[in-house]
Amino acid sequence: MRFADIRSGSRAKEAPAMEEVDKILIHALKQVGTEVPEEINSVKQFSSELIVEAVVRCIRVIDPGLSSTLATSLPPGMSARFRVGMSLAQACQDIGYKGEIGYQTFLYSSEPEIRSLLMFLVEKLPRESAETSDQPTGKSVVLQRTIAAAIKAHLAVPWLPPKCRLPLNCETQRQGVMHSFHVQPLSLTNCTKGSSKKHTKEVKDYQRDVLSPVTAQISSQASVVASILEQHTAEISTAQEWDNEWNNQGLLSRFTPQEYCLRKFTRLHKRIEDQLRSAALPSSHSAFGVSRSTSDLCELLQAFKGSVQPGHILTKGTHFTHTQKFNFTQEVPQVAKTIPTNHQSEGDVQLGQQEELAYLQQQFQQLCSEVDHLAADMKHMSVTNAQVLDELKQRELRNSEKEEKIQVKKKTIDLLPDADNNLLKLQGLVEASAKRVVNLASQWEKHRAPLVDEYRRLKDICSSKDVESSKKLSEIKSLHEKIRVSTEEAKKKEDAYKQLVTELENLPQDVSRSAYTQRILEIVSNIKKQKEEITKILSDTKELQKEINNLTGKLDRTFAVTDELVFKDAKKDETVRKSYKYLAALHENCNQLIQTIEDTGTILREIRDLEEQIETENGNKTVANLERILEDYKAIRQENASLAAKVREG
Amino acid sequence: MATTETQFMLSVGLIEKDVNGDTLWVWCYPSVGDELREVLLSKCCLTHDGRDFHTFVFGQFCRTWYYITTMEVQEPTALNKVTHFSVVVTAKDFNPEKYAALSRILCRMYVKHGSPVKMMEAYITVLTKGICQSDENGSFLIKDYDVRKAYLAGSVKDVVSQFGMETIILYTALMLKKRIVVHHPRIEALLEFTRVLPAFVWHRKDWSILHPYVHLSDAELEDLKKCPGYIAGFVNPEVSNRTDLFDVFVNLPDSTITVSQSAKEAMAMGKLHKDIGQLIVESAEDVEKSDSQVIKDISVKTKEILANLVALADECEDSKITLEGLKQRHFPPATENFLFHLAAAEQLLRI
Repeated sequence: MRFADIRSGSRAKEAPAMEEVDKILIHALKQVGTEVPEEINSVKQFSSELIVEAVVRCIRVIDPGLSSTLATSLPPGMSARFRVGMSLAQACQDIGYKGEIGYQTFLYSSEPEIRSLLMFLVEKLPRESAETSDQPTGKSVVLQRTIAAAIKAHLAVPWLPPKCRLPLNCETQRQGVMHSFHVQPLSLTNCTKGSSKKHTKEVKDYQRDVLSPVTAQISSQASVVASILEQHTAEISTAQEWDNEWNNQGLLSRFTPQEYCLRKFTRLHKRIEDQLRSAALPSSHSAFGVSRSTSDLCELLQAFKGSVQPGHILTKGTHFTHTQKFNFTQEVPQVAKTIPTNHQSEGDVQLGQQEELAYLQQQFQQLCSEVDHLAADMKHMSVTNAQVLDELKQRELRNSEKEEKIQVKKKTIDLLPDADNNLLKLQGLVEASAKRVVNLASQWEKHRAPLVDEYRRLKDICSSKDVESSKKLSEIKSLHEKIRVSTEEAKKKEDAYKQLVTELENLPQDVSRSAYTQRILEIVSNIKKQKEEITKILSDTKELQKEINNLTGKLDRTFAVTDELVFKDAKKDETVRKSYKYLAALHENCNQLIQTIEDTGTILREIRDLEEQIETENGNKTVANLERILEDYKAIRQENASLAAKVREG
Repeated sequence: MATTETQFMLSVGLIEKDVNGDTLWVWCYPSVGDELREVLLSKCCLTHDGRDFHTFVFGQFCRTWYYITTMEVQEPTALNKVTHFSVVVTAKDFNPEKYAALSRILCRMYVKHGSPVKMMEAYITVLTKGICQSDENGSFLIKDYDVRKAYLAGSVKDVVSQFGMETIILYTALMLKKRIVVHHPRIEALLEFTRVLPAFVWHRKDWSILHPYVHLSDAELEDLKKCPGYIAGFVNPEVSNRTDLFDVFVNLPDSTITVSQSAKEAMAMGKLHKDIGQLIVESAEDVEKSDSQVIKDISVKTKEILANLVALADECEDSKITLEGLKQRHFPPATENFLFHLAAAEQLLRI
């Protein structure tokens, strides 16, 4: 029978699997701190003391609070032992063990119970490996971690006076090592792959012969690294930004990169122009709400304007500002004059000063009046200029109008002698030309309309192609995205792989995880095979059962038909009655046979079940436990008696 | 005269917007120059991404008046693939009503027949005979549309009621031939407001200073700068930053009038202006007076001032005023300034 094979097969495989499980358990318990003697290989060989020690240590790691009252060793007294067992059981239940547990699990242990309890506790142990799996992977992270470790180590070294330091520490404990981050511009040859800029021959020669290497271009050695870093970062960031911009907006705009750059440049240029124009207007008290942020720009532009000759300013200023300006210039020479006075006598000095003052004031008045005159003249000039221009324009217009009128009138005069005829002729001419023009228009329409239609049709095709191409663009974009994501993932996975390989090499080799994983995989495949076999057997069983039902049904029906048939004839004929009796007996006997076979099968199954139960019970070492229990019971009774005696005495 | 009036018409053109969203200049007769074509395409509301739809706009460019009527194509129609179209009529004279009526007829003809040939026939009939059959049981006669009616079509009372006493600033600016810029985000309001401003200086009857619809493009601004004094209407609010373009800035939605720095001196106002302003406001507030009567009142006052000025000029030699002559009269400084600039504007100043 296939069932027996499968059962024995699985049981045969259980034993070595159980060995492996025990090995893992023992290893885990050793890690927790339990002293497991070397010769013990399986849970069967655990003694009660060992069990108690293992459980207590596990509980201590899992939940330090629970284990405060527990000791790792069993006390000698029986009642104490009993108590310890109870508290251990309670602790295990508190942790969450769902199976049946009590003092008997520890004192009178059975292999399967102990195994399941230890497996539960070992699983509950907090995993140390959880920490490392959360940390990010990557070469840079490893580098940073080593840097952090090195710095920690340096910080841990105590400070020593300079003379006592080891040369190793001199570098890191000295003060003068620090440099500030100075950057100097570098001149590098363009080393990007497929450089778009084609260097002329002169540039190449210059780069080859004249340009000094990067390390020599910098004046101070300390800035080399900083400058190179800065240049490199700047290049990388521009390249990244350009990539970003191109992938997002540039592709959508459908221009070539050069066209796109050109358009962007013109757009920005125009914006700057507009800003400058709106800020350059010298109206700080304008009523149009020019924004305050342009005031800085105004000042800047004023600074530029300040360098223009003062004569320029005269045109825009009013009378008042002119006088202001001259007030200032007047004070300056006055101040200048007052300084070199020390060695002259007081009176002379005063007189001289007053004369000068009068003279300068006179000059000043003259200049003022001249300026006034000029201003008035200019005003007059501008107004008359405007008037003259206006007049000129009007006259020009009138001239052109009159010229046109003259033309018409001239032609009319030419036609005047023969007025009526000419009028008729003119009308006829006009009508004829009108008709001709209309005719031409209709001819032109015949040409124009198809062209316009064609144009529209092509535009339509073009726009539908646009739609398609924009769809393709978005597809390309999503593909780019996918590529980027996949490369990132691949990079991450490679980094993780490298890191894990190094970690694996660094791990202690006492436990062969590969052996375990192999066994696990083997067991999994075995289970799969067994499952297949079981399903096969189940389906076979179902088939058989169906057949049986079928046959039973057929049998009943056949018998019923035969029975009737024969019974009908049996009333008349003697032989038929006999054959009927035989038929009935045959049916009866066959039924009994079938019944017996079924009973046999049931009994065989019961036998098998009972055998299995016997085996499990045998493993429970119940007899030994029973003996121990009896002994312990006797011991407890003795203790109780002694305690009672003590109480009576004292 | 009907004949001279038909000589004012210059050309007719057709702009179409199709189902692809393109706006194309598809047809014109007799011909339209490239620059004018560019300008007309920018004025036509079909190029503005369908934001606003203006049935009728008009404006001036290089002394040519253009009138654009836009229509949406409704089914059923002989035109396929066309969603909207505009008919552009260019002419030398200012007469929005006349050309609006004409272009409406042309539009309807185009929609009905789907081909510009019929439209052109009608246009030529108007050109040669001054009359055209319209499909609304009537005919379009040029002589029905007198230019005076066009001049008087705007409402002076609305202007005065919106700005009150500040109307005197507009009056002064117009008298002195200054540059006025008006801003309103809606083109129809802009057109309505600006077309009435030249009526304040009725004695000149010069509507060529009116540029009611200007964009801030180089070509148009160049053309604008050729005129010494103008009234320009802008839809773009950024024009307020272009102080090089105006002496007076009118912000219609906010109802504010601002005089730019450079023109403040010439536009200084005194008692004379106060009087005129009072007169204008009183005349406009009078409910029984019609718009043309208000204009008449203003022009009477203007004629008075001009008569005084001419009298002053006659007293000087060669009938030209000089600043010294004015100074001798001891007018108050604002009035003297005003009269000086007015003389220049009226070409009475000695050069």
